[in-house]
Amino acid sequence: MSVLPPFELHRPTSIEEVVELISWDDLPYVGGTELLLAMRAGLLNPRSLIDLKGVAEITGVRAHNGAVRIGAAVTHQQAATTEVISEKLPELPPVLLHVGNPRVRWSGTLAGNLCFAEPKSDVIPFLIALDATVTLVSADGSREMSVREFIIGPYFTARTEHELLAWIDIPVVPGRRGTYLKYQVMERPTVGVAAVRLDEGDSTITRVVVGAAGEVPVVHDVDHAHPDRSAVATAVVDALEPIDDLTGSSDYKRHVTAVYVERALEKLERM
Amino acid sequence: MTIRTVVNGRPVTEPIPVRWTLAEFVRDRLGLTGTKLSCGMQVCGVCTVLVDGRPVSACSYLAVDVDGCEVTTIEGLADAGSLHPIQAAFVDHFALQCGFCTPGFIMMAKSLLDENPRPTRKDVVDYLDGNICRCTGYQPIIDAIVDASERMTP
Amino acid sequence: MTRSAGRSVPRSDARAKVTGEAKYAVDASRPEMLHATIVRSDRAHALIKDIDTAEAAAIPGVSAVITSDDLDGLFPRFGHIVADHPILAIDRVRYYGEPVAMVLAASRHTAADAARLVRVSYEGLPEVMSIAAALEEGAPLLHEERYDHGDESFGEAMSDDWSPSNIAHEVCLEWGDVDAAFTDATEIVETTTHYPMLYAYAMEPYNALATFDEGALEVITTAQHPYQVREDLARIFDLPLAAVRVTSPFLGGGYGSKSYTKVEPLAAVGAWFSRRPVKLALDVEEAIYTTRADSATVTVKSAFGADGMLTARDFQLDLDSGAYADNGPLVLAKAVHRCFGPYRIPNLRVRGRSFYTNTTPASSYRGFGAPQGNLAGELNMDQAAERLGIDPGEIRRRNLLLPGEEVLPGARPLDADLPADLEMVLESLDSSRPRGPLHGIGFGASASDAGAFPVSTATIKVHADGSVTLLTGSTEMGQGSQTALAQIAATELGVPLGSVRVLQSDTAITPYERTTGASRTTTLTGLAIQRACADALEKMMAMVSESREVPVEDVKTSDGVISIPGGGDLTFAEAVQDWFGSRAGEVTGVGIVRKADSTAMLPPFWEIGMVGVEVSVDAETGYVTVDHLATVGDVGYAINPALVEGQDLGAATQGLGAALFEQLIYDGPQPLNPNVVDYRVPRSRDVPRTIDTMLAERRDGVGPYGAKGSGEGALNPIGGAVAAAVGRAIGRWPDRLPLTPEYVWRLMHMETEAE
Repeated sequence: MSVLPPFELHRPTSIEEVVELISWDDLPYVGGTELLLAMRAGLLNPRSLIDLKGVAEITGVRAHNGAVRIGAAVTHQQAATTEVISEKLPELPPVLLHVGNPRVRWSGTLAGNLCFAEPKSDVIPFLIALDATVTLVSADGSREMSVREFIIGPYFTARTEHELLAWIDIPVVPGRRGTYLKYQVMERPTVGVAAVRLDEGDSTITRVVVGAAGEVPVVHDVDHAHPDRSAVATAVVDALEPIDDLTGSSDYKRHVTAVYVERALEKLERM
Repeated sequence: MTIRTVVNGRPVTEPIPVRWTLAEFVRDRLGLTGTKLSCGMQVCGVCTVLVDGRPVSACSYLAVDVDGCEVTTIEGLADAGSLHPIQAAFVDHFALQCGFCTPGFIMMAKSLLDENPRPTRKDVVDYLDGNICRCTGYQPIIDAIVDASERMTP
Repeated sequence: MTRSAGRSVPRSDARAKVTGEAKYAVDASRPEMLHATIVRSDRAHALIKDIDTAEAAAIPGVSAVITSDDLDGLFPRFGHIVADHPILAIDRVRYYGEPVAMVLAASRHTAADAARLVRVSYEGLPEVMSIAAALEEGAPLLHEERYDHGDESFGEAMSDDWSPSNIAHEVCLEWGDVDAAFTDATEIVETTTHYPMLYAYAMEPYNALATFDEGALEVITTAQHPYQVREDLARIFDLPLAAVRVTSPFLGGGYGSKSYTKVEPLAAVGAWFSRRPVKLALDVEEAIYTTRADSATVTVKSAFGADGMLTARDFQLDLDSGAYADNGPLVLAKAVHRCFGPYRIPNLRVRGRSFYTNTTPASSYRGFGAPQGNLAGELNMDQAAERLGIDPGEIRRRNLLLPGEEVLPGARPLDADLPADLEMVLESLDSSRPRGPLHGIGFGASASDAGAFPVSTATIKVHADGSVTLLTGSTEMGQGSQTALAQIAATELGVPLGSVRVLQSDTAITPYERTTGASRTTTLTGLAIQRACADALEKMMAMVSESREVPVEDVKTSDGVISIPGGGDLTFAEAVQDWFGSRAGEVTGVGIVRKADSTAMLPPFWEIGMVGVEVSVDAETGYVTVDHLATVGDVGYAINPALVEGQDLGAATQGLGAALFEQLIYDGPQPLNPNVVDYRVPRSRDVPRTIDTMLAERRDGVGPYGAKGSGEGALNPIGGAVAAAVGRAIGRWPDRLPLTPEYVWRLMHMETEAE
């Protein structure tokens, strides 16, 4: 069994301490679910790891300003079983139970998933569909941006060197319905489809976000509660830029994306 | 750095290099070799141990992260020499062959049954999605866990 | 007393395995042990210009950095058939991942840190990444010299006229007049199939712990065949066999992939060089760079009469065997023997070739050449049935060999009832029931010349308290030999199962066992144990005759008791103690199996595969779900029925992996998926909804109580069965495995694409 390269460990207890330490060579972690694998594979070789588990401000989930605020140290399992989420964001827990396997869900975090920007993430498309935002904190202050803006490309985010993704805010929208369906043969999905329906003023928006098939999620909004499924699928596939990989060729990904967009919309209609 | 932990009910204080994984700590330092290593990528499950009752992949979990926690490995399951009902069910159902994946499956089963004492067969299958057995074809393992749940919660 | 054999008694190793107490090679350690890390080639084919070890050697805690230059005085290669495999690359690398140097250090972490600092300079050579490339005019040659032959018993693939070529080995088989039969045929059906490159994924990756002590070498390792490894090690260090001790504790999976020598020479060279114990434990990626299974392209042409009877078959098998021979020649020979199926074939020609390519060396894997050829052979039968308008069950019924018929000239006649096995599968599948759209059934048969070359020895010790030790060189790798062999011994001696302890696979202590492979253990080791038990009983009866002064012919034994005239019954303990005159002594029984008597004729038995599946295909994605799996374990007699069913379900599941998901993919010079994230093996969610593992016990084997082996049979025809089922579900015959959703989807839409 290969080993981890050497590194130092920091255990800060406040965000201030974290942002003093954080850099491209000093990486925050909670479970290390993806980070430790990348380090063992020689893809990352940080000088130090910064344990976020002792930073009280980011270890919990709470209601905040019409949103649910999920701290950076909150694991998938913790989020999936927290009361405030079950009450206010009932559409989220079933999606979190799609992530990896129970061990990954117990140690991996939503924030880590976002920062890693793995193109086959199950969480990212759904968070985009829910209009989630992230708050990035540095010694100079903080800024908020949508998850959609945050994910720039595969393994590439808008986070700068000395910023910490402190929390994720997911707006609570009464009457919103959402689902996530994925097609997965290998360890990671070929395509993942988030579908959400919400009322916006007089109209109803149906939003489809497709992950895994391309390098960045494709977002498609339709101003209709029950849009023509096949038309949406065609539009999404037109916008998709799939790549050939072990989960399928680009042709096949286009095809199953259309199939799963339709299946997700069909499921959403029943919700 | 020095970590303080409780392993299988026994307090342990040990200085360890920070880059050690939990698997290296329990196998190499504590001699608890029942925890196995295989894929190294959190997909096979042979290294599953419980940290404060939650399952983790010891191959990809820092040993320093069990500082202040309770760790349960396969060696901590049998009570004074008598098998845990999950272990007994694995024996009775021929739910193992080479046995290399067995500690991981049993620890995952423990975690599942702690969370959900009477899982359906589908619950079991879903929960074991991150555990690989190359010998048995899984069916006897699933049977054993369903049977264990009935033995434990009649 | 209840007879032990024939019952599903719990595994004797189960308690140790559920408590974590079971010790595997990877759990072994020694005081003062060094840890080894291998520096591997990042080229598929290159000359080594320089290896700079200085920086690595300077790391505190590093004991040595070893390259092939340091092996002076040793025989630097291994390989039991062809000794072509350098321990560490000599001047040249032939595949991505080949060991180039070895770092020894006080800790695994230090060794790994230092290994990252070893700099190797290469001069690239043109690569041969496929059979097609190997065959090209002027293709670069992987091997230009001829190496020593190891195994003398392997004559088939070794011819005397030799010139360098990328054809590693050739094996041909022919009888009758094939060409004439094709001329006269009513129908000729041709099929070409591709079988993927596979990784066995035994979950404990290869590892070994080697120690040199007073001129003797000890290795604790993950070897299925410790006695074969001993020979390679003895040759490397020029040691007598007695000075090499190889021990195989519980193996974390084997499936053939731990046959023969793998990492033992590396660990042993480390121990020899450093004078310290050396532990080398690979990870999964490195295991993939150590051994894989042959991929194959197979073309079969079959001639049929109007009655659907086979009149001739002509096979061409091409196997991609990678950079070194390993067990490849034998896999090829077996593939040639196993491809044409258990059918009556008046005229047969099989031409098999295996090729050197710049890929991980291929070797044994469960089924041993059978699955590759069976896919083509069985699909060809299904296509023939369709062409001839005969039911696929019926065409097999007409052509299957009957018990006692000849499979191979000069070989043991068929010791199984295939038509009866077929009916069991067809009944399980309810084969005449019409299926809905996108549902299909498939089934297939195979017969393998199993058991390998019969050399087995066993020792039984009856101790002064009547308890029994069984010593065997057969390795426990999950198949349950520890349990089944104890059942045989307990039955033969008439003692309770609990009084028999089994000690396995330590070449210094246990008696010789040629291999643990080819499904041979129950049959051949079992026979040796029966003979050892008989020997021990005979000796104890002679001892009782002497100590009680009764004629030996009046001494009898049954149920663990030795009786003499006049009603005196002696326990084994009394028999031993009486003779030795104190509470001491023991009786040793020895049993030998060789190519003689009941095992004079090869193969020792035919291992049968008879399986069926029902599948459904998702109309939109092409995803194949196996709804029903049926297997027949035609094992003659099941010493432990639950263990046999476990072997069948396990083998079938591995077969389903290859049928549906598994393939090692090379993208240029290096594998694209050398890990378990991207190499997809079956998971719990893939378990078929209905599983029917049936046993056929007709006591027609040469082993104890009529037993024959199992373990590979249920895998061999699975690929063809699934391919046939998918073919029927979608109305188009697949020509390759795995049947990934995308491939099936493409097959379903081929016509529209072509238009």
